[in-house]
Amino acid sequence: MTNPFFRKLLRRDRSLTEAEARALDEAVSHRIEVDADVELVRQDEISHQSLLLEQGWACRYGALPDGRRQILALHVSGDFVDLQSFPLKRMDHTVATLSRCRIAVYPHENLRRLSETMPHLTRLLWMATLIDAAILRQWLLGAGQRSALERAAHLICELFTRLDVVGAAPDGVFNLPLTQAELGDALGVSQVHANRVVGELRSRGLVTWRDETVRILDWPGLQALAEFDPTYLMLESMDR
Amino acid sequence: MAGRLIANLEGHGPLAQEERAAVEALVGPMKTLPSDTELVTDGEAAPDCHVLMEGQAFRHKTLPDGRRQIVFFHVPGDILDLQLAGMPVDYSVSTLAMCRVAPIARGRLADLIALRPRLGQAFWRLSLLEAAIQREWMFGMGRRTAYARVAHLLCEVYARMQRADLVQNNRCRFPITQNHLADAAGLSGVHTNRVLQALRANGLIELRSRELIVRDWAGLVAAGEFDAAYLQGAAERVAMARPGGGLAARG
Repeated sequence: MTNPFFRKLLRRDRSLTEAEARALDEAVSHRIEVDADVELVRQDEISHQSLLLEQGWACRYGALPDGRRQILALHVSGDFVDLQSFPLKRMDHTVATLSRCRIAVYPHENLRRLSETMPHLTRLLWMATLIDAAILRQWLLGAGQRSALERAAHLICELFTRLDVVGAAPDGVFNLPLTQAELGDALGVSQVHANRVVGELRSRGLVTWRDETVRILDWPGLQALAEFDPTYLMLESMDR
Repeated sequence: MAGRLIANLEGHGPLAQEERAAVEALVGPMKTLPSDTELVTDGEAAPDCHVLMEGQAFRHKTLPDGRRQIVFFHVPGDILDLQLAGMPVDYSVSTLAMCRVAPIARGRLADLIALRPRLGQAFWRLSLLEAAIQREWMFGMGRRTAYARVAHLLCEVYARMQRADLVQNNRCRFPITQNHLADAAGLSGVHTNRVLQALRANGLIELRSRELIVRDWAGLVAAGEFDAAYLQGAAERVAMARPGGGLAARG
């Protein structure tokens, strides 16, 4: 079971069966390799497939014609980037790659068959979208009530924790292919301000972030600054 | 009894007669809650979800030091804590006014969904529409001015109340204090007050006697950069009937 989505589900639900894992695998029609900065699904588009990120980074964002852009989610290996288009069809935002990505394509027809025959697995797919929503609410809480510095610290704590689940952050070091402009778009601040908070995290000895590599130097210090509590990521393993 | 909930579940097409009956049978007896009551508590895995039948409520998250962020305003027909169907909630829900709520046992909901996958998709869709609303809020927090953010928020509540058939003479109930609005928009009380005064001075809205009165819907839509498409999630963009009419362009 090397599929990172299975790993993510297994981490949360120990009752996942071999048959379910196989069914998920068989629902993949094909895999694609995509370059960085490619739009995968556009806002207002009607989608007939959902995409599972097997490797690489992607983001969801909303944009206005005048150029304002807000990143609404960051996706790592093991995340569906647009599972909601299976029940909802119309996209209310755009999904784009941030790095070169390998993606497994799930036609909605296959997901429908799966949802008709495997209720437990369907509930887990639902849960994956609930966790996305919980992450978004954390971001909303941060945007309204946390300082930009606290928000940046929180984001790094969150990304590290999510990557750690799929084994992609050994020793607190991970790849993060975000430009400072993109970091600004995720934190809801200007590029200059984003740059400043990253500098502040470094000067406090909490993290370094150089050439797309983040290194956590002081995990307890970073967690304390962010008031990070990972409960919302639902990492507890149980029968779900 | 569960008419508004069923209408929400029918967003992508009508339910079959027996599906409607199954939803009706799922909803337990109503109970009444006074205003300012916390009904759902962050972190709990309560046995029941709750349908808001009457009244208004809000969803919120709080930092350890007490800073509070409101993340959702609920209108009748909403399930306040549908997330319980899949996992514990990461938020609390409190009443804004006296509310009537009806329970849905989450075990029975899970059984029903397993039995009727089509109905399961309809419930899933409800929780995804919530997520779409949260995304709009997030966009506003990051990239809209305080004025546009508050206007957008009022547009959303008004549009959702209208879909629940609870708007009359361009007004609907919305018993919030300035503090609620400040906590929802991520603004200080003083700043919120200033924004409300500007919205009023520009002839767009009034907030008084626990009501939201919309004086100029088109103006409010323009001020909030509001496009109701995210509330539908339907395959087609359907213009909602509303005073002033017309969808605001969002590109």
